[in-house]
Amino acid sequence: MNELVVALGWAGMYGALALGAIGSIIGCAIAGQAAIGAMVDTETGLGRYLGVSVMPSTGVIYGIVIMFTLQREVTVTSAPGLFGIGLLAGIALLYGGVLQGRTCASAIQAMKVKPEIFGLSLAPAAIVEGFTVFVFVFALVLAGNIPA
Amino acid sequence: MQSADRYLTLLTSLPAHGSLFGATQTPLSRLRLEMRLRWLEAEDAEDLARLSAVVDWYDQRFGIDDETVVRQAEQRIAEIHNDFVRELARWRLEMRTLVAALRLRRDGAPAPSSRRRWGFGRWVPQITRHWGEPQFRLERVFPWLPQARRLLDSGDALGLERLLFGTVWTHLERIGAEHYFDFEAVVVYVGCWDLVARWTRYEADAALARFDDLLDVTLAGAGDILVDAGFAALDDATEEVAA
Repeated sequence: MNELVVALGWAGMYGALALGAIGSIIGCAIAGQAAIGAMVDTETGLGRYLGVSVMPSTGVIYGIVIMFTLQREVTVTSAPGLFGIGLLAGIALLYGGVLQGRTCASAIQAMKVKPEIFGLSLAPAAIVEGFTVFVFVFALVLAGNIPA
Repeated sequence: MQSADRYLTLLTSLPAHGSLFGATQTPLSRLRLEMRLRWLEAEDAEDLARLSAVVDWYDQRFGIDDETVVRQAEQRIAEIHNDFVRELARWRLEMRTLVAALRLRRDGAPAPSSRRRWGFGRWVPQITRHWGEPQFRLERVFPWLPQARRLLDSGDALGLERLLFGTVWTHLERIGAEHYFDFEAVVVYVGCWDLVARWTRYEADAALARFDDLLDVTLAGAGDILVDAGFAALDDATEEVAA
């Protein structure tokens, strides 16, 4: 039983990074495809499309920081906290990355038609980013309260 | 990749449509559109081709009887894999059946026999049953029907075409509202492109007819001037000979 609890602790510690990376991979792939399509249709603003398409990559960065914050000796006492924080933060980062990719794809489509709404079209993606920042910050705060 | 994002690259590579009646040309040429549509997967490309074969006027043969037309359309629609495309094809043919019924009745045709398959879709029995009613008692289902009947009766062919185009455009916008980067969104885009292409071509035809009229008037005027000039020259020559 203790071994299982310890294993879950390790899963939580690495889960934040792994799930955050999966979210970033899917999100960047979605937004990247939209950027490629927009490049086929337009002659200008190509750098903007690429820039927007890498927005979902922040999920993996937050995951890395959470993993280092959670890094400690995994014991029966600390494992449940590591598992809970790491796994739930990872799931949130995963969804954040995927859905941010979709909002970025829509933003690319919109700014292709109306380049003047470049900033406004990124607002939904920025709001999604804000929620993942909440997850990131409070994961760091709670990580300090995990018993040794 | 989720199926909802299957055609992200294709759809973002297509330029946006403006408004239907404000367009002066299609957002991209037919050649370019067909090149982009090569990115469709084989099954989706087949579905789009079948939809096109059912609804495009270019693919219709007019030398065959109604029953054969209806049977062929049903066969083609049954071969479509995608439910959304199948439903759209049905909707378009039902709309055409209604317009055909209005035209037939305006021309004084009696109610079609219920044994003969003269139209497509679920409303055919209702139309036959209520042939004498102004809108076949379908005005609640098809709000555009009363206006279509008025335009048809008044002989306003352009107004009727405009109404029908607008109705199809609105329907496409409505059913495409929940689709962003999937095959259904591609179908809606191609449907809108087709409407813009047809409408702008009508405008070109109207412009050409107007140009022909102006040319006739101008040439007729020029002809009179030339004839007058010819007579004047002849008079001068006659006077010179007499002198």
